Amino acid sequence: MSILQDIKNAVRSRSIHVSYVDVGSCNGCDIEVLACLAPRYDIEQYGIYVHNNPREADVLLVIGSVTPQWVDKLRNIWDKIPEPKVAVAIGNCPISGCVYNRRGSLINPPVSKYIPIAAQVPGCPPRPTEILSAILSVAPLIFKDYEESKS
Amino acid sequence: MKKTVDVSIPLGPVHPCWKEPVRLKCETAGERVLRTELELGYMKKGIERIMRGRPWQEVMFLAERVCGICSVVHNMVFIETMEKISDIEVPPRAAYLRVIANEVDRIASHLIANFSYCYTIEHETLAMYLLNTRETVLDNLERLTGSRINTAYMIPGGVRFDLLPEDGAVMLADLAKVEDEVRRVVRIFETGPLIALRSRGIGFMDREEAIRSHTVGPTARASGVLDSDLRLRHPTYQALGFEQVTRTEGDNFARVMVRFQEIFQSIDLVRKCIDTLPEGPIRGGGFCKAGEAAYSGEAPRGELTYYIKTDEYGRVVDIAIRTPSIMNIEACAHSMIKNATTIADVTATFISSDPCVACNER
Repeated sequence: MSILQDIKNAVRSRSIHVSYVDVGSCNGCDIEVLACLAPRYDIEQYGIYVHNNPREADVLLVIGSVTPQWVDKLRNIWDKIPEPKVAVAIGNCPISGCVYNRRGSLINPPVSKYIPIAAQVPGCPPRPTEILSAILSVAPLIFKDYEESKS
Repeated sequence: MKKTVDVSIPLGPVHPCWKEPVRLKCETAGERVLRTELELGYMKKGIERIMRGRPWQEVMFLAERVCGICSVVHNMVFIETMEKISDIEVPPRAAYLRVIANEVDRIASHLIANFSYCYTIEHETLAMYLLNTRETVLDNLERLTGSRINTAYMIPGGVRFDLLPEDGAVMLADLAKVEDEVRRVVRIFETGPLIALRSRGIGFMDREEAIRSHTVGPTARASGVLDSDLRLRHPTYQALGFEQVTRTEGDNFARVMVRFQEIFQSIDLVRKCIDTLPEGPIRGGGFCKAGEAAYSGEAPRGELTYYIKTDEYGRVVDIAIRTPSIMNIEACAHSMIKNATTIADVTATFISSDPCVACNER
């Protein structure tokens, strides 16, 4: 392993840019992701920066069961994120559809049909600490030795 | 011929300032916004279609998942509609505990709305103060109901959990702390010259326009619409001596300040409730019967109406929900943002009307 790769690994594990997309939830999970920004949880001390720009994100948090409008748009957003990238499903909705997955509803879960999901955080909604620990445990693992394993 | 529309600028559905997906199409001439169109439909899950034909025990959990931010009030209005259909009496202690849960949830909702506004005008310090204060408020909601967001606290004929006296004392101490912190933030917000430049006189909507476009909640109250708070007609709030907050400026600043004033008012209401909490049971009896009724309650964003028709087994045959944000964001797109002098004010004005897209589209 080269020194350059070592440096990249070290930097990437402490500099994670997060984007979130709501594909049809009750927005309870949205505000729990926002609550991670609060000084109590202090997401930025781990080097995680939450903004909502897919073009410069590393981690995409997918929230909500997939509504018909998002079937193609979610894939577009995923394609816009530069490599290396990872998607984390937040809440029950992207995993199973939660309470909305009943006959007559318009949704089409799970979200793993549309984009590859690396980790799932169940809960309705999950606590901010759980979201935080999921991002912290999955992102450095996926980004480790990215350049060397690619070639 | 002179071209009037230079460029059509779409904002969203994924936007750094939006919490939820919604698209605004602004037609601009230079920096001036001529016309704005709202494009909804990204969150339509069909909750009302799922609700039909299900027993109320299931619909109760679906009702509070219409909106995550104001889930307590969705629960409360659904349950009070079911009680109105079935003539179920609520014990006085349960009625007071409902007000406590509802007001604590309203404080959290207003705090996150004002957080979003401060974040959108790029005043991150104030935003973080407010978000941290919200965590203290949610701790108290969790202490009372057992959950942070989707609480399912109320059931027909009462509430699920009692408030222990020591928990009430902790809640009062925490709310005193919250009041101090919010008072400090309000002082900074009122006197900040840069905040005033981004807020005062921006996104103006006068009283006639607010009434004509049927705005509700803090958006209407900031434009001086009197008697627009449905808590004035709720018997428990009437017993607590509730009075409506009204401001007359009608701009972004007024909308944020109305929410701040309502936070103080809610803290006072919770204090009054805990001090005068009647003794007695928290759950009465009763059966859900056949019938139909429409009932409205005051959500943090305004008037929330449920129309429910049930059969003799307590199943929901028909249901219609009217949520507050749909009028507010339509009024925002058609009268507040119209003739905005710069495109940079569009996001701030839109967030100041406190859009809740999950509520709107259900």
